[in-house]
Amino acid sequence: MKSLRRFLYRLFNSAARHEHEERLREEIAEHIVLQTQENLRAGLPPIEARRRAMFKFGGVEAMKQDYRAERGLPIIENLLADLRNAIRTIFRMPGLATVIVLSLAIGIGVNTTILSWIQLILLEPLPAVGGASNFLVVEPHTDTGGYPGASWLEYRDLQTQLPALRDLVASEMVPFNVGEKGRTERTHGQLVSGNFFSALGLKPAIGRFIRPEEAERPGTEPVIVISYDYWQTRFRGAPEAVGQKLRVNERDLILIGVAPREFQGTMLPLKFELWVPATMAPALLGGTRDLEDRNSRGFSLIGMLRPGATREQAQAEFSTAMAQLARDYPEANAGIGGEILSFWKTPRGPQRMLISGLAILQGVMLLLLLAVCGNTANLMLARGSTRQHEMAVRVALGAGRWRIISLVLSENMLLALLGAVLGVALAVWGTTALRIAPMIGAFPIQFQTRVDGLTLAFAISLGIACGLIFSAAPAVQLARLDPQQGLRASSNTPPRSRARKVLMGAEVGVAMVVLIAAALFLQSFRSARQTDPRFRPEGVLLAAYDLSGRNPNEASEREFSTRLLERLRSLPDVEAAAIATNVPLDLHGIPARSFTVQGRVRTESGQDRAISNTVTPGYFKVMEIPLLAGHDFAEMADRTAPAQAIVNEEFVRRYLNGADAIGRRIQRRTESFVIVGVARNAVYNAFDEPPQPAMYFSYRDIPASEGEIHLRTRGGHETALASEARATLRDVDPMLPLYDVRTFSQHIERNLYLRRIPARMFVVLGPLLLGLAAIGIYAVVSYAVARRTREIGLRLAFGATSQRVVLQIIRENMGVIIYGTAIGWVLAFVISLHAITRGVINLPVFIGVPALLLGVTTLACWIPARRASRIDPMAALRHE
Amino acid sequence: MKQKTDVLQGTLALMVLKTLDVLGPLHGYGIARRIEQISGDLLAVNQGTLYPVLLKLENEGAIASEWGASENNRRARFYRLTREGRKQLQVERQGWEQTAAIMARFFKAKTEDLS
Repeated sequence: MKSLRRFLYRLFNSAARHEHEERLREEIAEHIVLQTQENLRAGLPPIEARRRAMFKFGGVEAMKQDYRAERGLPIIENLLADLRNAIRTIFRMPGLATVIVLSLAIGIGVNTTILSWIQLILLEPLPAVGGASNFLVVEPHTDTGGYPGASWLEYRDLQTQLPALRDLVASEMVPFNVGEKGRTERTHGQLVSGNFFSALGLKPAIGRFIRPEEAERPGTEPVIVISYDYWQTRFRGAPEAVGQKLRVNERDLILIGVAPREFQGTMLPLKFELWVPATMAPALLGGTRDLEDRNSRGFSLIGMLRPGATREQAQAEFSTAMAQLARDYPEANAGIGGEILSFWKTPRGPQRMLISGLAILQGVMLLLLLAVCGNTANLMLARGSTRQHEMAVRVALGAGRWRIISLVLSENMLLALLGAVLGVALAVWGTTALRIAPMIGAFPIQFQTRVDGLTLAFAISLGIACGLIFSAAPAVQLARLDPQQGLRASSNTPPRSRARKVLMGAEVGVAMVVLIAAALFLQSFRSARQTDPRFRPEGVLLAAYDLSGRNPNEASEREFSTRLLERLRSLPDVEAAAIATNVPLDLHGIPARSFTVQGRVRTESGQDRAISNTVTPGYFKVMEIPLLAGHDFAEMADRTAPAQAIVNEEFVRRYLNGADAIGRRIQRRTESFVIVGVARNAVYNAFDEPPQPAMYFSYRDIPASEGEIHLRTRGGHETALASEARATLRDVDPMLPLYDVRTFSQHIERNLYLRRIPARMFVVLGPLLLGLAAIGIYAVVSYAVARRTREIGLRLAFGATSQRVVLQIIRENMGVIIYGTAIGWVLAFVISLHAITRGVINLPVFIGVPALLLGVTTLACWIPARRASRIDPMAALRHE
Repeated sequence: MKQKTDVLQGTLALMVLKTLDVLGPLHGYGIARRIEQISGDLLAVNQGTLYPVLLKLENEGAIASEWGASENNRRARFYRLTREGRKQLQVERQGWEQTAAIMARFFKAKTEDLS
């Protein structure tokens, strides 16, 4: 208690420093006056009286020192003094400090942003759901390696057969058409089991959630829960929304509650807006057999371990249960086992792919940050050496080793923490910028990354680690300083620093690797953009419709697409129209299907597969893909022609050895198609893909409930067709919304979005790294040159030309740079050979990048060297 | 060396407290005089060492100080004992007396007493 009070007083006193200094001075003066008077009274002469008084008082300075030590807290005061000193020092080198802080900020900011993504996927995979990383994915798993999803009945069985799991939750994603006739809007929702919200531990923002009994029997409660965003945008956040009716797939559902703000469903990163009891499926999705058909596997299951249960236990129970189901229902469950996976390993969603990508990115970025540290250490070493004199004076005046180290540390820590703070600001900006949900394909996607306590701690510890790393070398260097040496040394050539050169070489090596990676990446991205897709996307408008909410059968689907196509073709501005199930260059890819083709004898086991797209006649005209042989599909209304298929060149080359394909039969499961045409190869899933075998089928033969309308404009801009297309669809079916309307070019751009992020990152990082390397080399060389002013002056005085001096300095430094470059080059070469291009080496990159790097580094050497060669020899010799 | 100062400071602090207890509010010089009179040469030189001790006591709350006028009407800092200081004095005094008694007995003891 006493010591606490004393501590607080001292803390306070540290702040009120001047006042106390003054008080002490007054007290001393008063003391001496009184003593002098006393001495005078004793009969001493005035001068002697004062002298004795002073003598008796003792050493004023030593006492003041004690007094100060007692008054304040020396550690804190030293720290404050160091901090003040650090701020002054930093202000004395604004350029250098800016470079250091900015480069650190970028390094830390990028790392923090990436961590926030990793955190989102690994630790908080379900926004608004606490402890979501504890959820396990319960996935039926086929012998052939697929994850087909679970059926509703299977879910009901599993609920009772997995005692190791509590709260087994089922959900299925479904697109809904919400709204009144003619004004419907396509919105994505989930059909959920009754325990969905309670198992996730969610609290409604308003109203209530679906109750377990509301998802017991088919078609019971017509209730719906909406997302917070949906509530805000469609109901303006009005509390009266609860209890209102919402028209979904032409059924009235009662809105019972609103999900919490950040909740976006259980299938990251998809963003769902509506939740409906799974038992509503038959009512909402006319004719769906989701609830009674064990072959209808649309549900995803997640669950949490019961306390005390292990994952192995759950896995064993799941395997047993699935084996039992396979025995009980062989026609639906034969060959289907089960797997229990961590949430981030879910087969539905990009988490697994993202995590490995992010981990690599994080690694590269940490390497970059290390390079920044090395750079800063180099700069600090260079600066530290020029401060040897200052430090020698400090040591001579009695500063201990630790005071010197803490001085250097506080300067560097201040820089590092400034960098960290700025980095956090960058990360906050970066994560919010990335939160803005891009619409990819027809699905709204949202990554709710954020900077929170963990990421903040990460950023700050990165800052501290960086500070420690780049303080270590200069601090040790300065603390080891012998004051005598330091005071004298200024005129001697300093010992060459091996550490600095190694750092310089390593940095150049890292720069080399990252620059080559960046260049390769950019190249592949650019070349991808420039590749001819072998169809013509310009002038084509895309739009999608979906009949699945409407209980269609084959006949009605065929009839619908026939009518729609007819109407679309008759539009005056439309040159050609078609409908297809898949659009090339889609993020999700076009599915490949297995088949057998007449005249093909497989030697190895397994099945042939080819990309498969179902299209209407006119498709090849819209896409401007020429038919090399045969003809287009029969018209939709044609009822006599047999089922048809069109294949591409690669299909013929690969599966028919280039023989004539027309007239051969393709067998797909039970159906048989006759090949009527051969189309030119086109790009299907990616610009840089090798030629893919593909087969096209006709809507006439395989009607589908969904379709992507393709319209080629007659000359005007394709966007002008949007309203006509919408009106046409409304004419054909007033209830059906047209969604995902975009030009083909927009479609491609959007799907390149994910590829663009790393490309952009490399565009920024490449030059940054080059700049960092150049600055590092410049600093080291200019420091070394400055230290050798006298030597250079001597050389010049003895007749060396300035050219010779420049050359010599460059030669001395280029040695280590060339080593670094060579090592980096070999590393990049090996990585590229094995990981990136798989055997193809991009020569321009592997020659151009080292040339650029060497050019820039030579320049960084040359500038200080030339400055040194301009020294006036007389001035240089007098200088010290 | 350091320990010796600590002991000195400890005793000095106790002397300060006792002085203020006996004489009431007093300025630094007055305290120094009083201690000098009683303890002889402890403060014959280095009277200045008193001031860090005063500050320490003040920080601990044992004494308080305020500006006042000295005998010759100059501004001087007057120290007085607080209630807490009085308590502290009592406790430390007992402690000292005990220690002193033990030490005295210890030094008085002859070799045969110890065996």
